[in-house]
Amino acid sequence: MTMKKYLCVVRSASGKCKPPSPSEMEDMYDKFNAWKNKFESNIFDMGAKLGESGKVVSQAKTLDGPFVEVKEIIGGFMIIEAESMDKAIEVVKESPGVGSPESSVEIREMIQPPMKE
Amino acid sequence: MKNLVENFFRHEYGHLVAVLTQKVGLSHIHDVEDAVQNALIKALETWAQNGTPDKPHAWLYKVANNNILGILRQNNTRSEILKKNQDITDSITKEEIETVLTSEFKEGILKWLFICCHPSIAIDSQIVFALKTLCGFSIKEISIRLFITETNAYKRYSRARTYLKNHSNNLPQLKQNDHCLRLPAVNKVLYLIFTEGYLSSHLQYSIRSEMCEEAIRLSSILVDSPMGKTPETFALLALMHLHISRLPARVNNANELLLLEQQDRSLWDQNHIQHGLYWLSQASVGDELSRYHAEAGIAIEHCLAASFEQTNWDKIIKCYELLEKTTPSALHQLNKVVAIAQLQGAEAGLTELYKQKPPEWLLESYQFHAVISDLNRRCGKQKKADISAQRAINLAPTPAIKKSLETRLKS
Repeated sequence: MTMKKYLCVVRSASGKCKPPSPSEMEDMYDKFNAWKNKFESNIFDMGAKLGESGKVVSQAKTLDGPFVEVKEIIGGFMIIEAESMDKAIEVVKESPGVGSPESSVEIREMIQPPMKE
Repeated sequence: MKNLVENFFRHEYGHLVAVLTQKVGLSHIHDVEDAVQNALIKALETWAQNGTPDKPHAWLYKVANNNILGILRQNNTRSEILKKNQDITDSITKEEIETVLTSEFKEGILKWLFICCHPSIAIDSQIVFALKTLCGFSIKEISIRLFITETNAYKRYSRARTYLKNHSNNLPQLKQNDHCLRLPAVNKVLYLIFTEGYLSSHLQYSIRSEMCEEAIRLSSILVDSPMGKTPETFALLALMHLHISRLPARVNNANELLLLEQQDRSLWDQNHIQHGLYWLSQASVGDELSRYHAEAGIAIEHCLAASFEQTNWDKIIKCYELLEKTTPSALHQLNKVVAIAQLQGAEAGLTELYKQKPPEWLLESYQFHAVISDLNRRCGKQKKADISAQRAINLAPTPAIKKSLETRLKS
């Protein structure tokens, strides 16, 4: 089956939440690594965390951005590979990033042009 | 991918706070805590993406060091500190990172331990301060472990921190003499961290053993250094190993506390018992006998007895007598009564018990009434036994202890 690529946009609540304690960080790190190992073949690009400031450019003018809803910011992205949206959802659902109630992941299929013969 | 050692984040937090605060000065401890916390978060994010680096320890040290210098620069205090402390530079040298991995780093932890145990800070604050800054527990985690509120834990912590901050100028390098004078206080804090874990009736085994393991870890570093090579500290470490060896057998599958005679002795950790024996032999020099010697002496008798029935109660009674001499306490007296009852019968135990008038606080402890109830029952005085049993159950501080008493005293 052909694998499709999915862009996963990680959103989290804006504003400072209470930082995790060192023990909690250890748990988070362990969970993350376990997830990475489990879905090794599905993770195409671990992506990156995005900086907090940015600009929004349109024909009219350049605005300070990023445009965010007050309550959430885009914290990072990654690209995963899966045969279907359902499988992609499964991979993302188990990722530790979805664990906290304030965060969510938006999954969008990356439509690729058909291969030339 | 490189695996991190257990408790890596927590221990790194403690070590980095201890070492960096000594470097930039106690008055900046607040900033150091922030710098270290941020370094750990950065590690979490970066390592999750790129994998754990080859030298995670050095990686963190470098980032935390840069963080604290950044904060200090922002506060315009850096030039001031630089004057005081010539060895702080932006780029840390390769040698410096290497020392992070060597014994000098342990030295930093030890020095911090002696700083924490300042005689002007109340002991309950010292414990919380050590747990936060050396073991890396958060205030919330400490409150769970010590059965106190978060507010209380924070108060205790900030009292110690404020004291050290305000008196940072009066805390020059501790001299050898100071180390000797402060060693008993250091031993006591380690002992209390251990007993908080060991005696805790927290139902989660991991939470209890964690505190004991922290105490053993710090004590092991201590006996490894010139300042800790004393019979008293050796005995303390022996005591810890001997007690923790029995910890896995203290609860059953239903998470109920088990008494010594109910425990499955095959679950006792022989490795810890061996370590205990070793350190006890190291402790048996000199002419001073500390409470730790007496307590380790009691613990070793239990550990070496093949069964409850074969326990050498005579030796245990003698150790309790020694313990009463070094550290008089009605609770030790009560324990001795139990040992006497085992050796000479319940009647003899009761006679011993009533030799002295118990202090008020002992009358309000469940242990006292539980012992009376047990001894009376064994003497056939059922009515007296029942009254004391009810008193003990009413005074039980936790549901786990209550359950244990109900099973034992009402059967």
